[in-house]
Amino acid sequence: MIRIGNASGFYGDRLSAMREQLEGGELDVLTGDYLAELTMLILGRDRMKDSSLGYAKTFLRQMEDCLALALDRGVKIVVNAGGLNPEGLARKLDAKVGYVTGDDLKARFPDALTANAYLGAWEIAECLNQGAQVVVTGRVTDASLVVGPAAAHFGWARDDWDRLAGATVAGHVLECGTQATGGNYSFFTEIDVTRPGFPIAEIDEDGSSLITKHDGTGGAVTVDTVTAQLLYEIGAPEYLGPDVTTHFDTIRLEEHERGVRISGVRGSPPPDTLKVCLNTLGGFRNSTTFVLTGLDVEAKAELVRRQLHDAIGDDGLTWTLARTDQADAATEEQASALLHVMIKTADPKRAKGFSRAAIELALASYPGFHVTAPPGDGTPFGVYRAAYVHRDEVSAEAVML
Amino acid sequence: MKRPLGTIAGARSGDKGGDANLGVWVRSDAAFAWLTGFLTVEKLKELLPEAQDVSRYELPNLKALNFVLHGLLGDGVASSTRFDPQAKALGEWLRARVVEIPEELL
Repeated sequence: MIRIGNASGFYGDRLSAMREQLEGGELDVLTGDYLAELTMLILGRDRMKDSSLGYAKTFLRQMEDCLALALDRGVKIVVNAGGLNPEGLARKLDAKVGYVTGDDLKARFPDALTANAYLGAWEIAECLNQGAQVVVTGRVTDASLVVGPAAAHFGWARDDWDRLAGATVAGHVLECGTQATGGNYSFFTEIDVTRPGFPIAEIDEDGSSLITKHDGTGGAVTVDTVTAQLLYEIGAPEYLGPDVTTHFDTIRLEEHERGVRISGVRGSPPPDTLKVCLNTLGGFRNSTTFVLTGLDVEAKAELVRRQLHDAIGDDGLTWTLARTDQADAATEEQASALLHVMIKTADPKRAKGFSRAAIELALASYPGFHVTAPPGDGTPFGVYRAAYVHRDEVSAEAVML
Repeated sequence: MKRPLGTIAGARSGDKGGDANLGVWVRSDAAFAWLTGFLTVEKLKELLPEAQDVSRYELPNLKALNFVLHGLLGDGVASSTRFDPQAKALGEWLRARVVEIPEELL
């Protein structure tokens, strides 16, 4: 059995989770997911400003605090915090570090700000087999962070489809951190989720697992909390990954005194293609929200629309009127509707001018004019798209420092 | 009986690029038998009129249905003009819709 914990479900998750997982009980490997589709865009913009960046900086802070503790306890760290610059991050860590590279396909997609193939578990396993104490990757599938250490520990073969699929399910449960232990859970009133603990998978040689968490931590691991996380960000029951196709309709869940047992998972060979996460700069956006209180809400909205269109044109504006107002309300807030407007434009000056145009209406518009917060200068926005390339076109590599 | 769907069903939703996914699960075999018959693609579109192009998948082992709402989020979270651009609360919206639930499941 190998105990694999998770200490991060996104870039910005609980900073102290790493220490909580290391100090809370026994672990063999601690993983962390830092890369959402949106994060790749954020890191892409970091890298544009400074080519030595492009990784998740919060992970470095966690390592300053916890790397010695992890080494002392013999817990290996496996994270995708390398983002767009795994080597740059790896070189900042004082330990036996391996990193995974080869996901960057910008040369193939020159128009994209970021272009990264979703790599799998085998390069992570390779680093661990070579004795890495810390493994830093760029874009790998979230579940690979769990599959890699399990495959290395048990010496699984690349066609051990059922084992790989079982570990993929454990990885899917862990990848969003506390979403497996009662965070964001529909029946939250039935458990105490004030401060849910981070999840742990105890994986067996056959790929089955026990989902649990350290004693004394908050939240709960039940068939319902695990089911909720299994349903997160999935499509068809055939869950495609770079190493295995996992059949979600074969998963068996059973309550266990320490959490939930996962077994029965079937796998089959993966597709010939790898998914690529592409982010391109789409333009600039800005937004504000007008508060419309009391009578004539529709007419008030119509007046603001007309005024803003006159000032900056209606191209790229999206309006939404949320009728949160109630008639004859007993509080001012309940008497108010919210009129949201967003601009998306290729012209940064127009995105900035939007703010000025909106604020200049302050004494010249509908009765009761105010906004929830003054609009800013506008920000660039990205457009996400997935592409697929043949796996032979991607050369993933495990590098030891 | 007229009750919010969330009286007996849990849900979790999220984004994959421009698509949203919405998983709905129940806690007994009887409830799942009802849910599979009740919550068709047409019914989902009726309850969530913002949904257009919808695929439905059954996961009887989890007593769950998974819906993919294609194109709901435009070009993805960073670009979307939609309220809740990552579809995080889509499931809670669905749970709040009042539907006819058999009394024995309540």
